[in-house]
Amino acid sequence: MQPGLDHDLLARILARALRRGGDFADVFFEYKLVRTFRLQDGKIREGSSAVVRGAGVRVVRGESAGYAYSDDVDEAALLRAAETAALIVRDLQEPATVSALVPAQTAVLYPSHPDELAPANVCVALLARADEAARGYDRRVAAVNAFVADELQYVQIADSEGRVVTDRRPLVSLGVQVVARDGALRESGYVADGGRMGIEVYDERTPESIARDAARIAATKLGAVDAPAGDMPVVIGPGGGGVLLHEAVGHGLEADFNRKGTSLYSGRVGERVASELVTIFDDGNLPGERGSVAVDDEGVPGQHKVLVENGILRGYMQDRTNARLMGVASTGSGRRESFRVPPQPRMCNTYMPGGDSPPEEIVGSIERGLYATSFSGGQVEIAKGDFVFMIAEGYLIENGKLTAPVRGATLVGNGPGAMTKVTMVGNDGRLANRSYTCGKGGQRVPVGIGIPTVKLASCTVGGTAR
Amino acid sequence: MSDPRDEALALATAAIEQLTASGATDAEATVRIADRFSCEARGTTVTKLQRSRGRSLSVRAFVGTRRATFSTTDLDPARIGALAREAVAAAVHVGEDADAALPEAFASDEVCDHDLFTVAPDVAERPDDDKVREALELEAAVRAADARIMNTDAARVGDTSAWSALANTRGFRGVKAGTSVSRSASPVASDGDNKRIGYYGTAARGWATAEPADAVALHAVHRALALCGARKPPTMRVPVIFERDVAASVLGDVFAALSAANVAIGNSWLAGKAGEKIGSELVTIVDDGRLRGGLGSSPFDAEGVATRETIAVENGVLRSYLSDTYWGRRLGIASTGNASGGGVGPTNLYLVPGSGTLDDLVASIDRGVLILDTIGFATDHAGGVYSRGGRGIYVEGGAPQYALDEFTVSASFFDLLGGIDAVAGDLRFDGTIVAPSFRVAEMTIGGT
Repeated sequence: MQPGLDHDLLARILARALRRGGDFADVFFEYKLVRTFRLQDGKIREGSSAVVRGAGVRVVRGESAGYAYSDDVDEAALLRAAETAALIVRDLQEPATVSALVPAQTAVLYPSHPDELAPANVCVALLARADEAARGYDRRVAAVNAFVADELQYVQIADSEGRVVTDRRPLVSLGVQVVARDGALRESGYVADGGRMGIEVYDERTPESIARDAARIAATKLGAVDAPAGDMPVVIGPGGGGVLLHEAVGHGLEADFNRKGTSLYSGRVGERVASELVTIFDDGNLPGERGSVAVDDEGVPGQHKVLVENGILRGYMQDRTNARLMGVASTGSGRRESFRVPPQPRMCNTYMPGGDSPPEEIVGSIERGLYATSFSGGQVEIAKGDFVFMIAEGYLIENGKLTAPVRGATLVGNGPGAMTKVTMVGNDGRLANRSYTCGKGGQRVPVGIGIPTVKLASCTVGGTAR
Repeated sequence: MSDPRDEALALATAAIEQLTASGATDAEATVRIADRFSCEARGTTVTKLQRSRGRSLSVRAFVGTRRATFSTTDLDPARIGALAREAVAAAVHVGEDADAALPEAFASDEVCDHDLFTVAPDVAERPDDDKVREALELEAAVRAADARIMNTDAARVGDTSAWSALANTRGFRGVKAGTSVSRSASPVASDGDNKRIGYYGTAARGWATAEPADAVALHAVHRALALCGARKPPTMRVPVIFERDVAASVLGDVFAALSAANVAIGNSWLAGKAGEKIGSELVTIVDDGRLRGGLGSSPFDAEGVATRETIAVENGVLRSYLSDTYWGRRLGIASTGNASGGGVGPTNLYLVPGSGTLDDLVASIDRGVLILDTIGFATDHAGGVYSRGGRGIYVEGGAPQYALDEFTVSASFFDLLGGIDAVAGDLRFDGTIVAPSFRVAEMTIGGT
């Protein structure tokens, strides 16, 4: 059964929220269960579970929003939260109308619909398999840490326009960190995989394959050379390289920055912001992907959005409040970490579709450069669009071939600057199948990414090589 | 009104009883209650107003030497009872781990009662409307400061009053309270076709001790303007100065390597280096959980162990990792009172200041880079490489020349800490990890 608040109670909360006036109010109820097991040194070290339950009330007037939440979901506590949120209306007005609540249908999106968390014995068995596979991969594997987390989030969103909608979101993740050692050298590799589905995802995407991938990265890096520094051609690997799109373009197209005019992409819809080879989508509707939402955290169905089409900026990612202020419709991009915080416009699954070039032709076109398989720790500065990320796995390109693995490489660039330098796009576009989490304004939400093999004619690599 | 600490202690004690009844052989429960207020002003509008009280319970349970934990925001006794039974059942799937047990000794009543000035009375006294007015004034001050400031992201003012209680089956009962305040501004400067955003924020236990709003406005505006006209530098190896906020972020990376949780699993470049030289003579790093009024100060840590002052690095020599009880046992060292949120965390971690100002450091270099801001946050703790995107100022002949951006600043941590050859005296305890500005003899700037 879907947990949630009684519709009459929701109507009373909304009426109280708009008692001082206002344009819009909504109530977000959340009930989330998480169970996690951790393995380290061949042993299950800890089992943990978490319950997140509560509701947040928001009152919007113009560009202002009042927000309050309560962990208690009894009527008195929720009405208090509504009264607090209502204080955003500074000059007392006539109460605003609340339409009668009509339940809206939620599309079927997630490929499986577990109604309880995976059994503990199934979770720990996956970890044991991951551990064994990582240790068996290479004798230099010195430590294996792994976790499996299974989550079920039930949300219910009701608003003053009369819409009430629910969503039940599964989310699993299995992560393996491997430390490999060779004498005094120590390197680590980390891989996490999962999505919005049940634990059965690991029947296909096995713990062994995840663990071996992490072990391979750690062991490979033991033979790494210090990364070079300076401008050079860079090839972005398929799948995980999609972090580039997320940082270099994605954040800059979130509606809040563009409404306020603080993003470099503000007011540039219809303009060229990338090479004509570049098309970027953000999609909340990909079944099973980590960033997908049947409805977003404002109750709007997830959508397929064209952000950039053949190099031309087509649109922003909108939540309800920014969409209203900009006179457009929400794109189902309103997301939040929990009931304790109001929604923000966020990415779902951001990716570039495949192009024409065979990947080996792309690498073959470069005499000296860098190949980046995957990234971590990316960040962007919104106003000018400078981005940076660390290369988690990367190789030198010498005379058209991948040669030595590199350590300590960082890529730095400018969003439109880098996107204008895309000169080849591979025919191997795919999603990363990796567990990425995006942070913005202190809120973390699960996201997906994807990209084909892409050549940047030039990008700045920050390494330590002398 | 009743003291939230009494409510927290009653809830924590009840949770312990439920755990014991469910079959746990040992247990520890923490209840946190926090009142949070925040407001935001942009232009002449109050754009955000938030106030809420949050409560949560987190529990560690042991069944013999098997460990299970849970947390919940639903504090209904029936729910807690169900979670307790679930935790005890989950423990069956966990391996025996002799190191997983409550600490042997806890903070004494005397230690717990020692006033560390973590509560500033002016937090409870200040009306919300006054803070809203301040946010509007801060925003106005930022916009009026310079003709190039054409926009802002918003000015923010907020505070928190928090209470918590810790109870365990060994008889420890502890309560604590703390307040914190923050104010920040984010002006955007127009710089030809570019926009330059400058963020500056500050925090303290109370309003009286926090950096005043006008200073925050000036700092933020200075940061936005300082970057105007920035160009990309050539790739070079030069002396680098880290301005104190960026210096603090470097120290944050060093903390991760000092954490026993990372050291024990080999995910630290400081593993196996105890007693060895890992930095220059000027590098002394202290974690002080009992600093008067410090934002990380607390009489006891998350598992009831007395906090203390630990010299982690002394004149460049690694003296002590920072640890809780569990990871300390794994490493064969005692807890340093750094248990935090189920793992190891800093209390008030700082690099001991030297003397002089940031300007003195700038004046001291012939040709180098002053780093004002970095972006990116992945750190290779095992390999020990520091690499970030940077923004800053090119310095020549001891004088600032022009702004730089779109570059990286990199070095191995051994080279970075070993290369620190000057430390300024501008330390300010406005966070839990803080550092004065410092200079590194040579780092790689990756540019054109």
